[in-house]
Formats: sequence, structure tokens, C-alpha cells
Amino acid sequence: MWLPVVGLLLGLLLGFFTDLRISEEYASYLSIAVLAALDTLVGGTRAQLEKTFDENVFITGFFTNIFLAASLAFLGVHLGVDLYLAAVFAFGVRLFHNIAIIRRILLTKWTTKRAK
Amino acid sequence: MKNRMLVFACVTTVIGFMVAVQFQSLSEPSSRDTRNMGELRQALMTEKERQQELNQELDRHLEILYQLEQTEDVEGVMAEVMEELEHQAGLTEVSGPGLLIEVNIFFDENYSGGAIQTVPAYLLRLLINELNIQGAQHIAIGNERIVSTTAIREANGRTLVNGNWLSYFPIEIKVIADDPELIHHAMMSSQSNELFIYENMRFSSTPMDEVTLPAYEKNYRVRFMEPVQEES
Repeated sequence: MWLPVVGLLLGLLLGFFTDLRISEEYASYLSIAVLAALDTLVGGTRAQLEKTFDENVFITGFFTNIFLAASLAFLGVHLGVDLYLAAVFAFGVRLFHNIAIIRRILLTKWTTKRAK
Repeated sequence: MKNRMLVFACVTTVIGFMVAVQFQSLSEPSSRDTRNMGELRQALMTEKERQQELNQELDRHLEILYQLEQTEDVEGVMAEVMEELEHQAGLTEVSGPGLLIEVNIFFDENYSGGAIQTVPAYLLRLLINELNIQGAQHIAIGNERIVSTTAIREANGRTLVNGNWLSYFPIEIKVIADDPELIHHAMMSSQSNELFIYENMRFSSTPMDEVTLPAYEKNYRVRFMEPVQEES
């Protein structure tokens, strides 16, 4: 359970200590990639709780989501349409949805535990 | 199960890395003080000079306050202060040792431009700036006294000072200063002298024992100040 948290801290430390900076025009790509990654993570947690977790689905979902989101943003820039907003919207809605489901599952688990 | 957590950890590591990079990229670069020793000293000097000026002004005001408190004749002191302020603001005629600068047309032998009607506004501004740098106390261009709100503009190809046309050549500029000789030498070797020649004009300056400058005739337009009513 603590391993993902350690991973997150490790990633943050790595990011801050490498002092890597990207230019401003690529910042939107990165932000959308972060959103996609978060979406996959939350989706994976949900699947884990629903006991439908599949590692292959999770890993492929992680990479394709990031790639698709970034390419959508790229296409948007070249078409002159803020397409990345579509990705932000989709990921945002899914994030909230998944978090709500996770909350419900945890709540039922907790209440059944208390009922025992 | 362990394997699954490892996958999660990898994903969270990537997320953490991306978030950190994003944070760093979007954070404002902190501005650093890059002044060297000399520049710092200079800044310190200007601040000290400013402090001295402020102290002097404070002393002056304290003295006026003291006078007002000491004398029965408050109105007399007030009138004196008023006169002094008017003198400073250029609302009174002043005379004293100074400089007479005469601007005139100066043609090259093979000059082939049009007629020269007026001194360009930027040249006048440059000249006034140089005079002020050299320590001029009061300046008048033609019959127009230069005060702190004087505007030197160009309209329809002619230069206006205080909203009035500049007269035709020769144009007289009167300057009052403590050391007219010094300003005279400085002006004759100044940069503005060369620029006047580029515009086919030249000026000559003569130190005088006594020059008289007219008063500023218009009303001051005070836009960003208003009297403070002291609560009693």
C-alpha cells in the first residue's frame, strides 16, 4: 500500500532535483499528460477495488491515454481550436466519476465492517 | 499483489516527476539582485543625497513653523513664504547674473533644404535639459518662462512653448545661474551644440551680469494635488 506513495515522493524528488524545465508552449501538453496519468491511476484504483484489475489494461491505458491527450492538444494547436479543453473535460469528468465510485466502495466496505 | 503495487508505484513515480517538472516550469524565475559593487555604491549615494534633500526641506519647514509660532505677525510670515514659493515656481519676474543664448540660423554653403522656420521641440528640450544639468536656476525661452509644467510641443510644423508659438529667429534664451561662466563654457562644448548644427542652426551664449526673466503668465494647472483640510 505504501509503495505507490513512495513512488510518488520519489518522482517528485527526482523532478525537483533534476531541475528540468520545459518551455511555456509545451506546458499545456505536460499538464494534460499529468491529467491523463491521474485518470489512469484513479481508474486503476477503482478497478482494483472492484476486483477487475488487469495489469496489461492498466499499463497500456496509461501510455495510450497520455499519448492521445498530448496528440489531441498538438492537433488543437495546429487547427487553431483549443482541443485540449476536450481532453481536460473528458479526463475531468472521468476523474470525478471514478473518485465517486471509489468513495462509495470504500464507504460500503466501512459500513459492512462496522455492522459486523 | 506485490507486482500490482509495483506497477502502481511506477505510474505514481511518473506522475510525480511530471508534476514536479510542471511546477518548476510554471513557477516564476526568482529575480536576483545583479548589481555590482559600483552600482550599489551609486544607488546608496543617490539615496543619501535624497535623504539630505529631504532633511534640508524638513529643516526649512521647521524654521517656518518656528517663525509662525514665535511671531505675532503670522500674516507677514505667510506672505514671505508665499513670495518665496512663487519665486520658486516661476510666478515672479526674476533678475540676476546669467546667460543670454541666442539661437540663429546657420547655413552650410551647399545647403539645399527648405526654409527653416522653427527650432525642433526635441532640440529645445535637449538644450533645457543640458542647462538644468549645468545648474541653471531659471530659464526663459523668448518671453516664455520655463516652469515645472511647461510643455514644449510641435504643432503644424511650429514649436510651441507653454502653448504659444515660438518667435522667429533669432530666438533668445535667458538663463539665471550662480556661475554663468561655467555654464557658458559647458554649453559651447555641449552635445546640443552639435545637434543644432545638424539642424542648420547654431547658438551663441554670452555671460551677462544681469538678465531679467519674465514671470510665468498662465495659471498653473494642478491636476494631481488637492489641498488638505487639517482637522481642528
